[in-house]
Amino acid sequence: MTISTAPEPVAADAPPAPRRRRAHRPGQAREWWLGAALVLPALVLVVLFKLVPLVRGVLTSFEASSGFGGSEFAGADNYTRMLDDPMVRTSFRNALLVVATLPVWIVIPLVLALLIHQRSPGWKFFRAVYFVPYTIAPIVVGIMFRQILAPDGPLNALLRGVGLQPLAIEWLNGRYSALFSLVAVALWSFFGLGVMTYLAGLATIPEETLEAAYLDGAGFWRRLFSVVVPMLRPTVAYWSVLCASGVLIWLFPLIYALTQGGPGDATMLPEYLVFLTTFQFLDRGYGSAIGIALFVFVAVLSIFSVRHMFTEGTRKPR
Amino acid sequence: MFRRSLAGALAAGMAAAALLTGCGGGGDDATDGPVTLKVLTWEPGGTEYWKQVKTSFEAGHPNIKLEMQSVPFDKYPEVQGPYITSQSGPDVMANNAGLELFDRRGAYVPLGDKAAEITKDLVTYSGACEGFDTSKTCYGVPFSYQGNVLYYNKAVLTAAGLDPEKPPATWDEFGAACDAVKKAGKTCLALGLSGTFPAYWDFPEIARNYLTEDDIRALLAGKLSWKDPKLVAVLEKLAEITTKGWANKNAPSITMLPDGADIFQRGDAAFAGTIISDAVNWEAFGKALGDDKLGVTRWPAIDPAAPLAQKFSGIEGAVYGVTQWSQKKQAGLEFITWLAGKENGELWVKYGKGQPLNKNVDKALLPSSPAFLKIQELVAQPTLHAGVMLSGPEADALARGWQQVTLGQLTVDKWAEQMQQALERSPTKKQTK
Repeated sequence: MTISTAPEPVAADAPPAPRRRRAHRPGQAREWWLGAALVLPALVLVVLFKLVPLVRGVLTSFEASSGFGGSEFAGADNYTRMLDDPMVRTSFRNALLVVATLPVWIVIPLVLALLIHQRSPGWKFFRAVYFVPYTIAPIVVGIMFRQILAPDGPLNALLRGVGLQPLAIEWLNGRYSALFSLVAVALWSFFGLGVMTYLAGLATIPEETLEAAYLDGAGFWRRLFSVVVPMLRPTVAYWSVLCASGVLIWLFPLIYALTQGGPGDATMLPEYLVFLTTFQFLDRGYGSAIGIALFVFVAVLSIFSVRHMFTEGTRKPR
Repeated sequence: MFRRSLAGALAAGMAAAALLTGCGGGGDDATDGPVTLKVLTWEPGGTEYWKQVKTSFEAGHPNIKLEMQSVPFDKYPEVQGPYITSQSGPDVMANNAGLELFDRRGAYVPLGDKAAEITKDLVTYSGACEGFDTSKTCYGVPFSYQGNVLYYNKAVLTAAGLDPEKPPATWDEFGAACDAVKKAGKTCLALGLSGTFPAYWDFPEIARNYLTEDDIRALLAGKLSWKDPKLVAVLEKLAEITTKGWANKNAPSITMLPDGADIFQRGDAAFAGTIISDAVNWEAFGKALGDDKLGVTRWPAIDPAAPLAQKFSGIEGAVYGVTQWSQKKQAGLEFITWLAGKENGELWVKYGKGQPLNKNVDKALLPSSPAFLKIQELVAQPTLHAGVMLSGPEADALARGWQQVTLGQLTVDKWAEQMQQALERSPTKKQTK
């Protein structure tokens, strides 16, 4: 006796079966409630800790306040004020400069992950070492690098020691050197997470594919760009989204410890300006307005990246 | 069955409520056991002094226990801000006298007529009152005196061929001394421009040469424009300190505390402009350099004939007030009254090594360090402290502008413009106007 899973043939002249109401099984209802119960805590958390503060932030951004006293409705004053505020403009210009460094954030961890993945000498050691900076609290990283980057600090001593005297500059003293020193420290601190993310992605690529490319004579860079990157698109896209939003909202502890937004406004980024305006200048309404502007800026950037990620991530490798 | 459960739950709830009330969650002057008073402080004067405050106060007030929440000075606003916005938290809090206190005055109980009674033995407390006017509302009491002087390292001056007993008294003499110190291979003035300390400490010392007390009050009220020639002249002289090479080259990228102060404490600089109480004062420098090597003087006068040129920029130190939301206001008042008293004044001198405000402090307890004795002479001729008249945006713009001027990225005129914009952005001064 054979059991067929093929559908029963329907006679051509048979009248269409009347649409039956979906059976209301008690098991289904139970499943629905169970699903809802499982989702509910997350939903409550999202509403309480994401949505409520966001709505509260939007409302505060329409208020004028002095010190920590009461506040009054200010309409769109805080938003129009931002347009004329050179510090706000500078902070967003600096943010764009930071975003411009994203290719470095994306490529360096990828190259290192690939070197580890193909078991280059010392790969086990480097896999651990690269991740260590990520485990150090950013505020500690900031304090540590304040010493390292000091004019007479170890970095400049090393550069002078190896004959690279012209490179021994005052890293945190210049208009652009301060901003890019800050970004470099942030990169040092976070790239380990990128390496780990890429290693997880690389684990999904069949060994044979890479071996075949190797046997076909593809060098490191060829394998990277022709085999790994196309197959790793979803991971690269995920890391890109994380970095794109992260560089705009991760850097606060480093700015706080390293430069306090200076010298002048050289390392002033919107997130630090929100802190400064709200807690130092006690201008809550204006601080919230800058915060909402930053939220929109990051959201636009993230939406663009997420859309790109889905397009890229769902495309089959050629 | 249900009724029995409900009755049980109600009984348990009432017991819990009674327990919570007994634990200090209730109203003023709890009769069952001591009241616990929560105090938010950054421990001016150091941990040892605050230990003594707790021990001495509790010994004299068995009905009140102190629970100190100590926060580092630079983290204080971030901790205090949420307490104020949520109108909950400590019963007593500290703020610096001046605009910092006024910006947060909504958090404090106005002292009303009690102010004069509580502060009757203090030399001064106007910085705890609205507009530096004791006839207006006062929000708390100080117990220490604060202000700026110029410390110098006698050994560095001697090595540079200068007379350590005759520090430079005029701007020109200071420039000449700096040239000599630089020639001897040391930094003249230890300075860290990242952060607002130089705005609070150095600005008033230059401003004294150009402003009158009325001008300083106008600065507080936001009525003195930063484009006024007097204030532009102040900015020009501030700029000279760095553009003439009198300070360490890395000043724009380091903070005054601890970096700038470290340069002086290491013996690498001839001068450091800091304060008379709390940290980085005569005591810390004396310990680092030796009391015999530490000198103290007034900042050099730019115009020795200016009305305030020979005065001391003084201000009360941390002001402690009772919070609006406290359920233990009476106990809070008792504590701040005690803080302003003789007993605490003597603890402050002995353990905090600071300048007391209480007139009755036993003079025999005052430190015998030569630098401290010199400070006694200087503080005898006080004037208003122009630094604490600056709002947050102004202090920030002053610090950032000075960094940019030092790096050659900004002219003094543009700096004055930025200062005016900061004044116009200031929520406090906008309201005052």
